[in-house]
Amino acid sequence: MAKFRLTVNGRSRKVDAEPDTPLLWVLRDRLALTGTKFGCGVGVCGACTVLQDGKDVRSCQVPVSQASAHAYTTIEGLSPNGRHPCQLAWIDEDVAQCGYCQPGMILQAAALLAAKPRPDDADIDEAFAGHVCRCGTWQRVRRAVHTAARLGGAK
Amino acid sequence: MSASRREFLKWSAIGGAALVLPLPSPVREKTDAASSPFAPNQWLRIGSDGKVTLVIARSEMGQGVRTCLAMILAEELEAAWSSISIEQASPGPLYEDMNTGGSDSVESSWMLLRRAAAAAREMLITAAATEWNVKPADCRAENGSVIHAPSGRHLSYAKVARAASALPVPKEPALKDPKDFRLIGTRVRRIDGPDIVTGRGRYGLDTRPSDALFAALERCPVAGGKLRRFDASKAKAVPGVVQVAEVPSGVAVVARDSYAALSGRDALKVEWDEGANAGLSTAELLRRLDAASKETAHVSRREGDVERALGGAATRVSGTWRDAFQGHASIEPQNACARVSSGSCEIWAPTQNPQRVQKEAAKLLGIAPEGVTVRVTLIGGGFGRRLGADYATEAVEVARAVGRPVQVVWSRADDFLHDRLHPAGRADLEAGLDASGRIVAWKHRFTSFHLSMFGPFNPNADEPDVDPWGGYDNPYAVPNLTVEWIAVESPIHTGAWRSVEYPANVFARECLLDEIAHRTSRDPVDLRRELLVGEFPFASRKVDRGRLRAVVELAAAKSGWGTPLPARPGRRVGRGIACNVYHGRTALAHVAEVSVGEKGDIRVHRIVTAADCGQVVNPLGLEGQVESGVAWGLSYALKGEVTIERGRVVQANYRDFPVLGIAEMPRVEVHTIAGPARPTGFGEQPVPPVAPAVANAIFAATGRRVYRLPIRPEDLAG
Repeated sequence: MAKFRLTVNGRSRKVDAEPDTPLLWVLRDRLALTGTKFGCGVGVCGACTVLQDGKDVRSCQVPVSQASAHAYTTIEGLSPNGRHPCQLAWIDEDVAQCGYCQPGMILQAAALLAAKPRPDDADIDEAFAGHVCRCGTWQRVRRAVHTAARLGGAK
Repeated sequence: MSASRREFLKWSAIGGAALVLPLPSPVREKTDAASSPFAPNQWLRIGSDGKVTLVIARSEMGQGVRTCLAMILAEELEAAWSSISIEQASPGPLYEDMNTGGSDSVESSWMLLRRAAAAAREMLITAAATEWNVKPADCRAENGSVIHAPSGRHLSYAKVARAASALPVPKEPALKDPKDFRLIGTRVRRIDGPDIVTGRGRYGLDTRPSDALFAALERCPVAGGKLRRFDASKAKAVPGVVQVAEVPSGVAVVARDSYAALSGRDALKVEWDEGANAGLSTAELLRRLDAASKETAHVSRREGDVERALGGAATRVSGTWRDAFQGHASIEPQNACARVSSGSCEIWAPTQNPQRVQKEAAKLLGIAPEGVTVRVTLIGGGFGRRLGADYATEAVEVARAVGRPVQVVWSRADDFLHDRLHPAGRADLEAGLDASGRIVAWKHRFTSFHLSMFGPFNPNADEPDVDPWGGYDNPYAVPNLTVEWIAVESPIHTGAWRSVEYPANVFARECLLDEIAHRTSRDPVDLRRELLVGEFPFASRKVDRGRLRAVVELAAAKSGWGTPLPARPGRRVGRGIACNVYHGRTALAHVAEVSVGEKGDIRVHRIVTAADCGQVVNPLGLEGQVESGVAWGLSYALKGEVTIERGRVVQANYRDFPVLGIAEMPRVEVHTIAGPARPTGFGEQPVPPVAPAVANAIFAATGRRVYRLPIRPEDLAG
């Protein structure tokens, strides 16, 4: 065990963990931030997506030993009240079915809009190519990203 | 501006204060029955603050059942939608059927919940009328209040709740006339949506008591194998691992967190006696399937004399259509948490079947079922996999061995390796046509593996006459028809999978019909219209073929059937249609537009769907189920399959088992027909006609008939 200082959702957090522990499990099991989901463990499903310095990363692929240098945002910290444009757009378009993969997708959308405030469908398809949704919510994901863009999701 | 856009802008503009408040959660975790003065039955409670709690006894796994059932209750209760919270039921004597499968929840809850809520509404009206000393008949309920029409007086439910609770519960309350529905039939967003988008939604993997340990299991990779020996020394050396325990389901590595449990499990050395199935492969399984398909079959439906009609037919058209083993691959892997104490047990699980979990856990522990409390969480994808109880009973085994609450976590590879697979099947179909091209005979024989999730194979069991799904309920008017069914003992774990055996049989049936249309130079829509007249037998009743004909006609009209498709440079384009009636109830048709490239690569551009599921409870949710069913059906038709080598599942991840991605998602358009007043199911129903609609569109584009799923580009190249 070693001690690590992490910056998560604007707060400094101290954790004891094995250095190779993926950030995913530190968030979920140590910091009780269970909005970050475990789906595949090998970085191919996108359910564990969080923002690292504003860019999307797969938290199952980040060892906690490499996390101290960055600031992370999880779904719990995306907005103080759950009303980030991406969250509102996701509700407005009624995107979620089982919903398990959706926090990761919402963070992906936030990262996309930060980089490209007015994405087209091809940009959206490219940004979400690394996500798996077994419920097939894709038509609504596309619509929700456009809605979020109109609501100012780039901010 | 769309209606939803206007609604949204209105909704997001609700005052400055509301915008900074956290999104409210409508899901209550804890029972607060004591604080609710009015609780006339097990389905609803009203607090003295006017808050309405509705109890949902089915599992939410993305099909929107919490929203639909709450809408049904709120409609008859005349409650304000904004006043509603929902609470998830646990198995007990008050809840007769909690099984969430067979797309049955809304249909079977419809009258039950309406009566329960209508009874409560009558009690609230009577209480207010008594308070005012007026006739109840002069009062009505609306938006959480009772209104005395002649005087215009109002009393909120909060104010009459206590008085209402003293009244007798009416046995035969008057139900609302469907023409007065205000909520049912409107586009209502998911009631638990705010929880999902903020990460507050609690799935199985997010739910455990604070003193729980974590465990990962090594299970025998081959069904039927036994543990020979294991060496836990390396596993115990993994930091965080606290115990290694042998349990009936395998060897459990128990640790202080999920990652240590999974790492410890990977360090375990286990030797198995893999038993009789150690050498099993897909090729061997298909060999058994093919051999069985020649054997004597159970006849589940026989009309006329099919052999004689085939013998006298001018033309015979036949084919063998096959599908593959498929995984569920829900994004939330299997998991469950259990606490065992003497004489009682508590289980937290993402389960579709909490009553089965309760029963099997009780049997395992040798205690009464009432001693087992099952808390149902949100489910990160069910699709039939979680109708089993294996993931929950093994958590009970581990918790009993450890003497502490334990959450069992499955890796993605565990989830594939120990899935309850959709079994491969083959459908052998043959039709006979007379000299004028009329279909005079239809023979449908389906061979597949039994579903071990529901018990061991029993060759002497009474064969049901409702198999195979999609065969026994063939909707077409054909004078001589035989439907046969052969079940083979499955040596691997098999189970329910969204729409079960419908997809394989509807694929064969709808493709054969398309081939007949082609051979007789008829339009596939016209041929279906001719064959969908009158009624067909379904169990002891008759089903009106006209409902299916109407959706076929609607899908055709909305898709522009018969008009030219836009050309796509370098690609062959085509349209195809397929339809189905699900167990005599929901009727649905898809028209698919596809293009095929020179190398056989398939793109599905558009799916136009028409459906009749009776009363639509929530059109927004229904459209989502079509989108979802299309994605599921396209993954089945075009993407991954599960294979078996050395007795075990080969696939371990989404890399090996690809599912439909965002760039492959076609535009989906949904149209409904107002059918009978009663709603019928919609979770599985959009799946079965997807693959044949696509296969028939591929035929229209390329002239190549597809006989096996998933479709491979090499079958269509050139």
